[in-house]
Amino acid sequence: MLLKNPFASKSYLVVDDFGDMRSMIKGLLRSLGADDIDAARDGKEAVALMEKRHYQVVLCDYNLGKGKDGQQVLEEARKRRLINVATVFVMITAENSRDMVMGAVEYEPDSYLSKPFTKDLLRTRLEKLFQRKADLQPVNAALEKNDYAQAISLIEQRLGEQPKNAGELLKLQAETYLRAGNHERALKMYESQLASRDLPWARFGLGKVQYAMRQFALAKQTFEHLLETNKTFMAAYDWLAKSQSALGCFDDAQTTLSAASALSPKAIQRQHALGELALQNEDFATAEQAFGNAVKLGTHSVFNHPSLYAGLAHSKSSQGRHDEAMQVVSEIDRKFDDETARFYAATAEAVVKQQSGDAAGAGEAMQRAEEIHSRNADTLPASLSLDLAKTASTLGLKEKANDILRAAVQNNHDDEDFMVVAAGAYRAAGLSDDPEKLIRGLRQDVVKMNNKGVSLIKERHFDEAIDLFREAAEGMPGNKVINRNMALACVMKMEDMGVDEESMTLARKFLDRTGKLTTNDTKLAEVARRFTLLLSADAETAHGIR
Amino acid sequence: MEFADILASSIHDIKNSLSMILNTMDHLLDDPNTRIGDRKQADVLLFETNRANNSLLQLLMLYKMQRQQVSPNIMEHNVDDFLEEVVATNRGLLDSLNIQFDYDCDPSLSGYFDDNLVLGVLNSAILNARRYTKDRISVSAAMQDNLLVLRVEDNGAGFPDFMIADVPQDLDGSASFSSGSTQLGLLFAAQVAHLHVNGNCHGHIALRNRHQLDGGCFEMYLP
Repeated sequence: MLLKNPFASKSYLVVDDFGDMRSMIKGLLRSLGADDIDAARDGKEAVALMEKRHYQVVLCDYNLGKGKDGQQVLEEARKRRLINVATVFVMITAENSRDMVMGAVEYEPDSYLSKPFTKDLLRTRLEKLFQRKADLQPVNAALEKNDYAQAISLIEQRLGEQPKNAGELLKLQAETYLRAGNHERALKMYESQLASRDLPWARFGLGKVQYAMRQFALAKQTFEHLLETNKTFMAAYDWLAKSQSALGCFDDAQTTLSAASALSPKAIQRQHALGELALQNEDFATAEQAFGNAVKLGTHSVFNHPSLYAGLAHSKSSQGRHDEAMQVVSEIDRKFDDETARFYAATAEAVVKQQSGDAAGAGEAMQRAEEIHSRNADTLPASLSLDLAKTASTLGLKEKANDILRAAVQNNHDDEDFMVVAAGAYRAAGLSDDPEKLIRGLRQDVVKMNNKGVSLIKERHFDEAIDLFREAAEGMPGNKVINRNMALACVMKMEDMGVDEESMTLARKFLDRTGKLTTNDTKLAEVARRFTLLLSADAETAHGIR
Repeated sequence: MEFADILASSIHDIKNSLSMILNTMDHLLDDPNTRIGDRKQADVLLFETNRANNSLLQLLMLYKMQRQQVSPNIMEHNVDDFLEEVVATNRGLLDSLNIQFDYDCDPSLSGYFDDNLVLGVLNSAILNARRYTKDRISVSAAMQDNLLVLRVEDNGAGFPDFMIADVPQDLDGSASFSSGSTQLGLLFAAQVAHLHVNGNCHGHIALRNRHQLDGGCFEMYLP
């Protein structure tokens, strides 16, 4: 019996800036049985092709001359979902090491292949990758739907079959526990792995769990320990700096990121984080350099962002170079065209004008930033609130900064990561000596209010619940829990007492708003499902169908 | 810029050229339309280019190790799958030279190592074995006293005694240039082995003769 050639049925994209290399790799693939092969000569062309169609296999050289490099192609493809978890992405590198591309834990290719490689090696490697993708397909499908319980049970099932890739599966299982918020199980898995062997990924995972459990001092130790023996484990630097920041040691955090950037200067998000820290530490020369690097890297990166320009302008103006700074601000309008960009152009202008002594101009720009912020309160990410608060604080508007931060904390009261960053912002703006306590108080108020509303729903006092959530949502338009529960109250009222126009409109409004605030919220999906059910039942009644 | 840096970046560049040469030759030799008078000469060309490429690769890696720019990415790997890749990398070359090439490994054997670094070590051990073998090279893996042992053997005349007695164990160790050999491959292998640590135990390398085959045997022990 003839086995189906696994190479024949797939679509391939080959990316290399050398024509000879492209045709050589295409030739190799053809000799393996592939026939659906496209080729791109640079990153831009590769992305354009991936926008048009979905490829199952991408072979991409890391070094693509000017423009995007292979890592940036991968990041853009993954971030914009031009490829999915089933796509095999192989990074071809010039030498037998990953250090050029290291540090991209979040966006790692499925495999690195170093040049030169033989046809036999390409075949063996791709066959194994196809097999691995097929093996993990059900797990990955569950993970894409955020169905962690299903993913974990599938992994356990596979582990029971004595698979060759047991290590990889254990790692995935621990990561899934962590993502699902089951810290105890994740912790146990990492600790038991470390008891038998000190593996870098397990120590890294341990640190992340400790951080998630808010044991920042322990997390810091874990990442330091990891870096002692693995100096090029780049993601560990990022997490060490996060832990140091959470502990209020901003100088140490800056030192950590400086060291990491020296080792691996091309990571734009790290340069951004370094710039922010240096600004906060009033080390403006370092800030300027980091934001300058980030802006340069941004040209070809999917992570390009107007806040990088705002940071660069701030750093320049803090060193007295206001004209240069305004130049950078005007760049924002030329490079971007959306509300986020207009927001950052306004905050940057406010900062620069304030520092150059134009208080009136600064005030105007600040007001513009506030307007943009409030008219997009339900769509822009929470980090903008922090930047708005920082700007207010630079302008000496302490009370305003305080109000903005309070609203941001209330709007995101269930986001643990955000609380850590918000505490940092309070501290940096000199608004509180004990921001953790302050934040705890603010969060408790929200939780209390939410609990009260939920028990009103349970007691079927729907109108009271709706009044309560409605008022709460006025004050916290960006709080997804409050907005979702407002929708839930309306839906349950109608389930109980029949459909009415007003509840219908309210439910829809708050479902929409919550939908903009979150992605992949399973609880929201459940409320939406019940709402749709009500709608269709109502439609049937209206048409007299029973 | 230090001279070592200039050297490193030049090596990088030369390696790119060699890569291109190697891939083009592979392609040419694979193409039935290519007519070559003496196939043996083409194989020598391919082999020596491979060797040069491998040496440059090791030089680059040693340079990075000395500057502490390399830390091993140690993961659990199925050793059988790994050896299959080692074979896939070298099979074509050895076939064309009429050298019998096989590997032996328990399919369920797994080990902890940096696959990229160890692949480099085994490739160079195989290229070395090719220079001294009569007509057979064998790669194998096994667990021995809680260590993973990877072996490359040949059926040639074996290593001279002085080499077996004086295997380098790290970069500071004795590279004896008097023998006419820089021992680059062994230095690299020793360094890679040393980078593999479990608890207090570092990996190491050894040379011996007449293990399974009659000739030399390169061994790498990983904790």
